[in-house]
Amino acid sequence: MGAHITAPMYRRSLPQRLRLEGGRCGACGVTQFPPRAACPRCRGPLEPVRLSGRGQVVAATFITPAGAPPEFAGQARQTGGYWVAIVALAEGPCITAQLTQAAAPGAPVMAVVRRLYEEDGVVRYGFKFAPQGVGDP
Amino acid sequence: MRVAIVAAGQTRFGEHPDLGVKELFASALAEMGPGVDWGGVEVAYIGSLSCGQGMQLGNFAPALLDYAALPPVPAVHVENACASGGFALLQAVQAVASGQVRCALAAGVEKMRDLSGERGRYWLGISGDTEYERLAGLTFAGVFGLMADRLLYEGRIRRSDLAAVAVKNHRHGALNPKAHLRREISLEQVLAAPPVASPLGALDCCPTSDGAAAVIVACEEMAWQLTDRPVWVDGWGAASDTLALHSRGSITGLAAVRRAAAAAYAMAGVGPSGVDVAEVHDCFTVAELIALDELGFCPLAEAGFRLEQGAFALGAGGLVVNPSGGLKAKGHPIGATGVAQAVELFAQLQGESGARQVPGAATALAFNMGGSGASATVHIFRKEGG
Repeated sequence: MGAHITAPMYRRSLPQRLRLEGGRCGACGVTQFPPRAACPRCRGPLEPVRLSGRGQVVAATFITPAGAPPEFAGQARQTGGYWVAIVALAEGPCITAQLTQAAAPGAPVMAVVRRLYEEDGVVRYGFKFAPQGVGDP
Repeated sequence: MRVAIVAAGQTRFGEHPDLGVKELFASALAEMGPGVDWGGVEVAYIGSLSCGQGMQLGNFAPALLDYAALPPVPAVHVENACASGGFALLQAVQAVASGQVRCALAAGVEKMRDLSGERGRYWLGISGDTEYERLAGLTFAGVFGLMADRLLYEGRIRRSDLAAVAVKNHRHGALNPKAHLRREISLEQVLAAPPVASPLGALDCCPTSDGAAAVIVACEEMAWQLTDRPVWVDGWGAASDTLALHSRGSITGLAAVRRAAAAAYAMAGVGPSGVDVAEVHDCFTVAELIALDELGFCPLAEAGFRLEQGAFALGAGGLVVNPSGGLKAKGHPIGATGVAQAVELFAQLQGESGARQVPGAATALAFNMGGSGASATVHIFRKEGG
């Protein structure tokens, strides 16, 4: 972790950003995303599990250029702003990511890989969420 | 062992182009007035998110003592994001309560206005979940925007309830000579302000400010040697929560606040109804609404209606929340905020708050929060004989 996401830090998170690899507790079966050191419920060990990418919007906010961090300021200026949501994944955990278009709480969405931003000359790709039925494989 | 605050001071919050972090710290000490027994201070805890340019400075606390010509006692930099000041106070109170020292300095300082808006936004984001929240393009306005969006979706608040928090706190801030934003605003102005992170607009957000605050904490015996009017610290509590909002069971509650408050109330032997005046961490308007509920002051469903009727304001009778103007109007120099809450309540309990005085204030509560609630402190103060 760090304020500045270095290229090596970004590389270490690729299983999560491109494949939605979470962790499933071998003891109690609860799924975590992103994975952590142990299951927060029972401290059991986590085993890698690939999530479906399907989920539902819990809350969404439209970020204007005034509310964007500098590494996203270009995107905000070009588009006038962007939507960010907390999405409840079908397997249980919630995660924060951008939406490809506006979606209200309750809307079904699906993870898609998109360009996030560029830093240190490395374009960072990762998942965003699109309305289900749009861009589904 | 009973613990007291015996002296308190803060700089004006806002723009200080001629003062650096060291000068701000020394100015807060000077605001305590003459007669402070610096030779009695045995340890110092100084809260700051970072220092000066948003870059870490090693040996930060000793550097400040050095500049201010204080005794070379052990000095520690305390960092828990926007709760750095609250945790610095907590460390000082616990050091005295433990009997390890008789007298401690708790201070907080932040220099934010040297930074460009861009650098400032980059720096402030480090207190959240940098890997997912930040890489989704969120700053804290966005994180609190998500909380507010969910509350609106669930029909538990109205947009105007958020605005009512800002209107009240600006009315208080206009009376505070130390406040950053000394002007009243209308509900219509809040609702019409430029959007930042929906549903929050520019007037739902606290400003970035320069400033410093400090208090001296002493054991009972020493307190009576130093002042005739000690303000007792009768309860305290602190807690942590997940860094990211999305990791919590509920995104519309602040569990760390609830747990910190429960500990502080139990220790002080008082409940929410016994509190006369409170300084509540209102970095964004929605934070005060949620905190009113989590601190036990008012159910969330009623908070907006009660604010509309003028509750929690000076002159309304009953509990007054954020008589200083809160972070919203007084300003939010990150590390100074938690200590400045104690500075305001020290004056309130001594009856020295002038136009902002809460009549008969005897019991006070301070709530300071880091990030979107990943860290929280609650302190309960009592007037001598109160």
